[in-house]
Amino acid sequence: MRRKGVSYAKYGYIFSLPFILVFLVFSLYPILYTAVIGFTDMKGLIPKPIHIMDNPFQNFKDLLFDNASFQQSLLNTGLLWIINFIPQIILALLLTAWFTNKRLNLKGTGAFKVLLYMPNIITASTIAVLFSTLFAYPMGPVNSLFHALGWSDSPINFLQDKMTARGIVGFIQFWMWYGNTMIVLVAGVLGINPALFEAASIDGANGFQTFFRVTLPSLRTIMLYTLITSMIGGLQMFDIPQLFITPAGGPDNATLTTSVFIYGQAFKGSYMYNKAAAASMIMFVIAAVLSALLFYLMRDRDASKLKKQMKKQKKAAKAAARGA
Amino acid sequence: MKRILAVTTTALVMASALSACGGNSNSNNDASSSPSESASASASASTSEVSSNGSGEKVTINLWAFTDEIPNMEAKFIQTHPDLNVEFKNTVIATTDGAYQPALDQALAAGGKDAPDIYAAESAFVLKYTQGDASSYAANYADLGLTDDLVKEAGIAQYSVDIGTLDGNLKGLGYQATGGSFIYRRSIAKEVFGTDDPATIKDAVGPGWDKFFDAAAKLKEKGYAIVSGDGDIWHPIENSSDKGWIVDGKLHIDPKREQFLDYSKKLTDEGYSNGTQDWQEAWYADMSGSGAKPVFGFFGPAWLINYVMNGQVKDTNGDWAVTEPTTGFFWGGTWVLANKDVTKDEAKAKVVSEFIKWITLDTSDTGLQTYWANGTLKDGEPGTKDSVASSVVMAKSNGTVELLGGQNMFEVFVPANANATGKNLTQYDESINQIWRDQVRSYAAGKKSREDALKDFKQNVKDQLGIESE
Repeated sequence: MRRKGVSYAKYGYIFSLPFILVFLVFSLYPILYTAVIGFTDMKGLIPKPIHIMDNPFQNFKDLLFDNASFQQSLLNTGLLWIINFIPQIILALLLTAWFTNKRLNLKGTGAFKVLLYMPNIITASTIAVLFSTLFAYPMGPVNSLFHALGWSDSPINFLQDKMTARGIVGFIQFWMWYGNTMIVLVAGVLGINPALFEAASIDGANGFQTFFRVTLPSLRTIMLYTLITSMIGGLQMFDIPQLFITPAGGPDNATLTTSVFIYGQAFKGSYMYNKAAAASMIMFVIAAVLSALLFYLMRDRDASKLKKQMKKQKKAAKAAARGA
Repeated sequence: MKRILAVTTTALVMASALSACGGNSNSNNDASSSPSESASASASASTSEVSSNGSGEKVTINLWAFTDEIPNMEAKFIQTHPDLNVEFKNTVIATTDGAYQPALDQALAAGGKDAPDIYAAESAFVLKYTQGDASSYAANYADLGLTDDLVKEAGIAQYSVDIGTLDGNLKGLGYQATGGSFIYRRSIAKEVFGTDDPATIKDAVGPGWDKFFDAAAKLKEKGYAIVSGDGDIWHPIENSSDKGWIVDGKLHIDPKREQFLDYSKKLTDEGYSNGTQDWQEAWYADMSGSGAKPVFGFFGPAWLINYVMNGQVKDTNGDWAVTEPTTGFFWGGTWVLANKDVTKDEAKAKVVSEFIKWITLDTSDTGLQTYWANGTLKDGEPGTKDSVASSVVMAKSNGTVELLGGQNMFEVFVPANANATGKNLTQYDESINQIWRDQVRSYAAGKKSREDALKDFKQNVKDQLGIESE
């Protein structure tokens, strides 16, 4: 009698079951419920009976076209993300290039990686308090420094000026996350076949050329991962804008990001859950569209061309088989 | 053996997966836990129990507060009421990041055995609980046997009664009175005005803001700022306006409050203040005179003197005095409310009624207010004095404070409390005030025009609170 091979497939299902259950109850259901709230008139602290609005898309329309704060928050989120991400990716790529350059062979990269990653570990509230004390007005360390260096004659109110407030929030985010990005990129570079690097050095490529023509193209998947996570994180930027300047939102709504706006709508003031839910759904759609765009831009063009060719060949073969 | 190991590991993995609830979110830049919790890690709920050894059936009272003040009173209450057998279960959640209100609201809505029997509300949001959305949870003081006559006898400041009353039914009263005064530096007063006598200074800075700015000009000549920042004059202006922010459900900008725009700009442009923002480092620094210019005075109630300035004045201790402010106002305070459901249980209702009466209306020498006013709440330890709700108690208490050079602060606070009004407040004040002051700061710093500031204020209130303007 043939002994059946042991199938471990069922253990796979059993092990994933807890996560799926938890996900369904605690993640999927709230997301669907939030989506539904966006179409109702639910607001106020005391639970009242809720109704679907007469015009289901009323909340969405109001937010996008009439609500100046929400429009401002969309603008701020984009602006803060750009201020944060561009220096972050440049510095991370630069550090990656240096840390993985076999010819440079830097010593103590381990220690550096630890130090550069540290800002990410400090809690956001601590950092917010630290930076708001640093930039305090009229007396604060940075103001005193500028005064001592002669760069300014009277104290500058950093937290009151829109552009400096945004700049500081963007800088804090950059400082917190460039270590993380760098570690991810270094891990990606370590996964590249060393034979490629050897071939490049035999062919006489210098560091510059190696980086741009060998490392970067091979990093395509990792770059996609970094871009997607950074973009989604940027769209959800909350902890620093909420805590850094009180009241949350900054001078004249300069650092009001969409998450801060949603939090304010739902949990402060008038407790307008329907508007907050509608805004959350709008952000969800924006994130989905941008992610799809990124996936499309970063697709492996060679692989998709190959797939198309294979498809054509198969079709031709089928047609030939039928015709013959 | 291997089988047992496999089963145990499976069970452990499932247990840990279930306990770490919530799906995996793979995002780069967001806070790992819900915003309100990660931000206010320090403001976590704490519970404690205080119980007595009286005779009779044991009554459990659930008390919710946002500071330790009321829980600290319980030991004294039990000491002075040995016949009552009561156990207090306290839940204290600080108001940082607005953590207290949602928790209290949920507890009230849930009802049942664990619902709060006595709860405290701060002036920033007390209206919601006495007159607004959550007022249906509050019991009428009259149903607890605390009649209006008792209130009159104790000489409770009128504004406190107004805030706690809905449709003629008193629902909440405070144990403190937070009528505001003008707290000024004696040495600077002598130098600029020739005397530090409170009666003279009272006439120098008021009544009315014109006189205030005249005094500011005089102080500027000698190189002093009259106040630390525009926040200092905001509280008197806010509280002295004729109408509140919301009239007939629409946003209303009272002319007196609108003047704040101009006053704030004047303070900044003419250099009458140090341009600080209240509750920030530089504001505290001005209390010890170590800011850009020495500051003449602050507007504030007794708690500002005894709880805030006390720790900040350093070398200027004893150099301060109080006098009546430019215009009467109040700032802050805690109101104590009872849950409507306690009236159903007779034993509970008795204890709750006794406790609230002891805190708010008892003018005897064993009443809380006497201890509170004289700083004798903890035996053997000199406590902080504070102005209390009952003018009767204040009249017979010793309010001399070292910070004020030995002046009896109650002499000023009794009339100050009478001048405050509780009729121009709304339950959205906290949020609206934040938006308003942000716009005023922008205008005072010269970043936008007056019309734009008003326009943006109305727009922001509409966006963030859903309230239309008139």
